[in-house]
Amino acid sequence: MSHHQVVVLVVEDSPIIRLCAVDLMESAGFEALQASSADEAIRILEARPDIRLVFTDVEMPGSIDGLKLSHYIRDRWPPVKLIVTSGKTIVSESHLPTGTRFFPKPYNDSVIVEAMMSALSEVNTRPLPGVDRRSG
Amino acid sequence: MASITPAHVEAASTLAVIASSNEPLLFLAADLTVIAASASFCRVFQVDPASVPGRRLADLGAGEWAMPQLGALLNATASGNVQIEAYEIDLIRKGHAPRCLVLNARKLDDGDHGRVRLLLAITDVTLARAESRQKDDLLREKAILLQEVQHRVANSLQIIASVLMQSARKVQSEEARGHLRDAHNRVMSIAAVQRHLAQSSLGDVTLRPYFVQLCESLAASMIHDPERLSIAVTVDDSVVDPNISVSLGLIITELVINALKHAFPEQKHGEISVDYRSKGQKWTLSVTDDGIGMPRGKLKAKPGLGTGIVEALARQLGGQIRVTDASPGTAFTLVHDELAANEGPQLSAA
Repeated sequence: MSHHQVVVLVVEDSPIIRLCAVDLMESAGFEALQASSADEAIRILEARPDIRLVFTDVEMPGSIDGLKLSHYIRDRWPPVKLIVTSGKTIVSESHLPTGTRFFPKPYNDSVIVEAMMSALSEVNTRPLPGVDRRSG
Repeated sequence: MASITPAHVEAASTLAVIASSNEPLLFLAADLTVIAASASFCRVFQVDPASVPGRRLADLGAGEWAMPQLGALLNATASGNVQIEAYEIDLIRKGHAPRCLVLNARKLDDGDHGRVRLLLAITDVTLARAESRQKDDLLREKAILLQEVQHRVANSLQIIASVLMQSARKVQSEEARGHLRDAHNRVMSIAAVQRHLAQSSLGDVTLRPYFVQLCESLAASMIHDPERLSIAVTVDDSVVDPNISVSLGLIITELVINALKHAFPEQKHGEISVDYRSKGQKWTLSVTDDGIGMPRGKLKAKPGLGTGIVEALARQLGGQIRVTDASPGTAFTLVHDELAANEGPQLSAA
């Protein structure tokens, strides 16, 4: 493994979705760690100060959910970038720490990778590629 | 008291009206002495009819009507022009569950200003309130269940989408990868409708945000160089039944995939336009590209799964698919119009 890989953490309780997300991130060139609950995620974050981005689900078993986890991370590790996903469509971005991106499930793999690149390069959100929102 | 005067005769008929009222009624003097109570009042609130006339309101039954707010309100009604309208109060009786009452009271104007009479109507809404509370609980429960189902559907679709993309990344054959990506796009197309349904309370789908999101998703997964290719979406304010929106979304998915695969070989720049407009029963969906145009003669591609899907869905929607030369490029137009149903060349069946 290269020492220059950016380290990210996938937090997701569904094993298949987690496995696929880890594979997605590895194939995009990241080193992907994984946790199946917010509690486990916090333990990993404590052990690995090199984690730069957390991609988390919201509804998970454990003492806190992904929403609370995202606030906890923002408070304790402010530089860590956050991307949140959920099967519940109506998660308002106002409930998330500022700067956090939210994507409803099922998310599009390419959109997630693009959002990660964009968050990590500190570039502000730009329009999705190739789509012109004209309406008549 | 015993002498018979015209006033007493009138009072007797009033008393008869009060007594026969189906809604519990009390006929009161200014000092809140009960002159008469309806039989319904005595029955509903278990008061002995014989004990009522001449007794003060506060002394009825076991004294449960001695409610300070009620007394104050009735005094205000008696002394002025205030009326009690739909005032809610709980009746507490020993050995009974509390009853929720709605009170209406007014001062009667019979022309005799020296003699104040009040009419108090008492409606027991305990049961109605309990039923409406139960209905609210059921509605809340239904909303929670619906959310739970939508949540599960979204998670299941995520598993399918993730596995398809995972397979697309792992598979060696470029052709197989293409098929897996197409399958992924079809799943995402259906998921986008699901999401719009979850957000709308009416159960109908507003096409514009759905088509925009759908094409964003297609562009994100199929267009690697946004500088080179783009998708423009033009949709009017149409709102349609979810089943129709699923079919329209799948048709757009197939036609856009088709255009991205075939219309722009060799890094050509281009744009795909998705356009939907309706007027009354008539609607037109078109997907137009400014690419190389349809191959002719021997080069004509064998119709694939995409063509089959588009034709089947077009038939289901009662529409006609037409393929025209857009010079440059190709236009696929699906028209739903009873009059135009027998015109135009059809895509050859697969």
